[in-house]
Amino acid sequence: MQWLWRSLLRLYPRAHRREYGEEMLAALSFRHHRAGGGVRATVSSMWDLAAGAVGVWNDRLRRAAMGMGRGWILDARFLARSLGRSKGYVATAIAVLACAVAANATVLSYGTATLLSQPSWSDPASVMVVWGSNLENGQRRDVISGPSYLDLRDRVSALEPVAAVHDGGAYLIEDGRPEILDALEVTVEFLGLLGVEPMLGRDFDERERMSGGERSVIVTHGYWRDRLDRDPDALGRALPFASGPRTIVGVLPEGFEFLGPAAFLIPLHDDVLGADERSRIHYYVFGRLVDGASIGDAALELDEVARAIVLEHSGFEGWSFLVEPFEAVSVEAVRPALVTLLLTVTLVLFVALVNLATLFRIRALARSDELTVRRALGSGRLRLARVLTLETTVLATVGATLGLLATPFLLDRVRAMVPPWVPVPESAMSIPVLQAELTPNLAAATIIGTVIGAVLLSAPTLGGALRRSAQPLSGLRVHSSLQGVRLLVAVEVVAATALCIGAGLAVRSAHSLLATDVGVEPEGVLTLYVGDVWERAASERTSYFRQIVEAVERLPGVRRAGVTGYVDFQAEDDYAGIVLLDRETRPGTELREQWRRVDEGLFEAAGMTVLQGRAFVSTDFQGEPAVSIVNEAFAARHYPARSPVGERLVLSDEAYGELKIVGVLRDVRSLGPAAAAPPMLYAPYQGNVRGTQGMYVRVDGDPMGMAESIRDAVWSVDSSQPVMGVAPFQELVARWIAIPMATRTLVLSLALLTAFLSAVGVFGVVAYAVRTRRSELGVRMALGASPARLEADLVARMAPVATAGFFVGTVLAVTAARGARSVLYGVDPIDPLSILFALVAMGLAIGLATWLPARRAGRIDPSEAMRVD
Amino acid sequence: MPPFERPLKPLHHLILLLLAEEPTYGIRLMERIEERSGGALAPNAGSLYRTLALLVSEGLVEPVGVERPEGAGAPRKNYGVTSEGLSLLREEARRQAELVQAARALDLLGGAS
Repeated sequence: MQWLWRSLLRLYPRAHRREYGEEMLAALSFRHHRAGGGVRATVSSMWDLAAGAVGVWNDRLRRAAMGMGRGWILDARFLARSLGRSKGYVATAIAVLACAVAANATVLSYGTATLLSQPSWSDPASVMVVWGSNLENGQRRDVISGPSYLDLRDRVSALEPVAAVHDGGAYLIEDGRPEILDALEVTVEFLGLLGVEPMLGRDFDERERMSGGERSVIVTHGYWRDRLDRDPDALGRALPFASGPRTIVGVLPEGFEFLGPAAFLIPLHDDVLGADERSRIHYYVFGRLVDGASIGDAALELDEVARAIVLEHSGFEGWSFLVEPFEAVSVEAVRPALVTLLLTVTLVLFVALVNLATLFRIRALARSDELTVRRALGSGRLRLARVLTLETTVLATVGATLGLLATPFLLDRVRAMVPPWVPVPESAMSIPVLQAELTPNLAAATIIGTVIGAVLLSAPTLGGALRRSAQPLSGLRVHSSLQGVRLLVAVEVVAATALCIGAGLAVRSAHSLLATDVGVEPEGVLTLYVGDVWERAASERTSYFRQIVEAVERLPGVRRAGVTGYVDFQAEDDYAGIVLLDRETRPGTELREQWRRVDEGLFEAAGMTVLQGRAFVSTDFQGEPAVSIVNEAFAARHYPARSPVGERLVLSDEAYGELKIVGVLRDVRSLGPAAAAPPMLYAPYQGNVRGTQGMYVRVDGDPMGMAESIRDAVWSVDSSQPVMGVAPFQELVARWIAIPMATRTLVLSLALLTAFLSAVGVFGVVAYAVRTRRSELGVRMALGASPARLEADLVARMAPVATAGFFVGTVLAVTAARGARSVLYGVDPIDPLSILFALVAMGLAIGLATWLPARRAGRIDPSEAMRVD
Repeated sequence: MPPFERPLKPLHHLILLLLAEEPTYGIRLMERIEERSGGALAPNAGSLYRTLALLVSEGLVEPVGVERPEGAGAPRKNYGVTSEGLSLLREEARRQAELVQAARALDLLGGAS
């Protein structure tokens, strides 16, 4: 029996066993004997022993927890006292962290909201975009015709499903009020391809595959919310499209966006696509890679389809397909801006953390004596580490929380900094959403991350302090060592300098971008869409728009008016086959370039510049068109190293025949100032013009002030026709330059913040040096040193650190800028102005940060200073 | 040191009382608890020594010497109450006296007094 009890005794803590084990065995034996032995008594004694063991462990744990709790309370009290004594340190550490966290959260929220809209569909990585490509003609990415889409959809097995998309407008006339809304025309495969299901109703299906069936439409969540008042019975309602009513069959989920905002999805029918001419390219084509297939597999199959098309149809020599991940293509335009912002944010965070390390280090040095005393009085290393970690944790939590609280305010400031016509509001609408949805997680992640970072950062410093505290004598001497802190300050200066130079370069790049001639003069110009005359004959349409222009030009204050198919130069225009007659092309080869019809007044109204030859004149619009004007990009691509003026070409549109090039126009940089403009041919306004035209009106004074009278002038021709989208041309042009503008503002703010943070670091070091050397400074003053001399001496001590940091920072920034030359625009990586800016900013920051505490040194009262220690 | 759990649990209270009367060792204490409580409390070895360990660690009880029994048998460690243990007992007695007084005022004790 004894062996059984002995083995159960092992369940008890060793100390308990040693103290009471033998007595317990005796008591067990006594009780067992008294109970008369037997199985029952044995089982009962074993149960007693086991339950007792659980109880003893429970008592121990409870005592340990209570003891620990008492320890933490004591530590917290001590912490409160110690932080209360160092208000400057507390404020600085919190401010540094709050600044860094706020800056990062702001930039990340703003950057992601403005520059990157997260796709709302499933597995976006496997969605591919397929382009038509003719490298012989320099056309790498082009849209695709209906018949070619059907060919590749049916013959390529690596992509399934494959959808065609056309982004355009939808015309509705409700209560006699006409309007154009953005719409995507899509094949029935579209939503299935993206894995998006309508929130209400159904997707397009076989009912919409062919024309002649149901005339249906799927509305976006935004349209359903704003225009249908979230009507749960919206399905089945007919919307008054100008071409005839369409029935709502589905409502898209919230947040769905593809190729920009839209109100509707309208079905594209297979028979209509198949009946289209193969040369009329209109459609973006998207496909999803099937499981197990690679882009290479898709490309091989696409090559085969392209070869067959080239063989079967004339005019497609050199033509092929290009397949790319859609994600990569869509982020291309904003990548430089994003990279710049992310690099900047990383540097800011780095400087803030180094700054924090400096502060912690100074703090630990300052507390060496105290730690030594506490150690000598019996505090364990763990206990001291706990106190110090608690301090770091509290400061980091408060700092990070304050920073996050400041973020919404800063976001408002950022929005206020960006001019109102920059299209930030559209993307920035997602900022409140981002705030509402992400902030709790983001906040928790930021706070935890910051706290862990701060604790890890302080660990080596605290470790050192604790080690020193174990050696009472050396511990009391240690605070004269500032070498490590100086090194940290040098690192900060390096990073801040590099960032200031980077900011200088970013500002100069943005300045060059903004100064680039975008090819139009938007000041004083009003843009609008007019007319809905699709049902009229072509000749009636042209005469209607001509009358409108004349009516508008008769208004006092209007200098010139002109029309063309679209106001937005970014919109894809009709493509047509163009054959250059005087150039050695292979017989039958048609080029595909964008072209647009323009009337006589357009160039002057939009402020477009003729570089060579002449603009259109009124005689060009009489009889059959015989002339055309091309842009710089067209000339450079097709007539390299010679003037195209006088050359002839054929435009394969029925209204046009052989055209002589009479002028070269400056490129309109509608894809942004740094992006190459696409080649463009302008032909006199003739033939099958669109039923709605974009109109430019150049006026004296404020263009919006003329909006009413221009509308009246349009209605004086036909009061039933719509006037839509009235806006200053500047608003549109601002969209072209929005990204460089926003980047410039943000990078500059962050650079100044970093300069400030490094100044805080320098301030801390100098202030600490002054404090620890009070008695020495006092003695020197007593011996006759002038305050100015002492100040100069302290400033001089920081000079080598600052100079070395500045030098290394400059070298780093220049090296980085040379590597990132593609992000720069119109500015050399070694830019004296940017370096000068950094020198001035850092000089001011460090100078001030050194001088302020040094000035305090000059005011030390020698007798008091010598009494202190 | 946190205050010991109040009011005292019956077993804690009885052990303190018995040890205040006379220091004694584990088995004897076990018997006396049973006697005094009329069998209501009959701690086994596991719970008795758990309680003793707890009272020792709280400074209410302490070992007061080792007794060697005549003949064979392991030496017995005697336990007695400390001054803290005594003051806790006094405090508990006062608390109970107040209760008794309140009970008397309500005549709950009847002719018992």
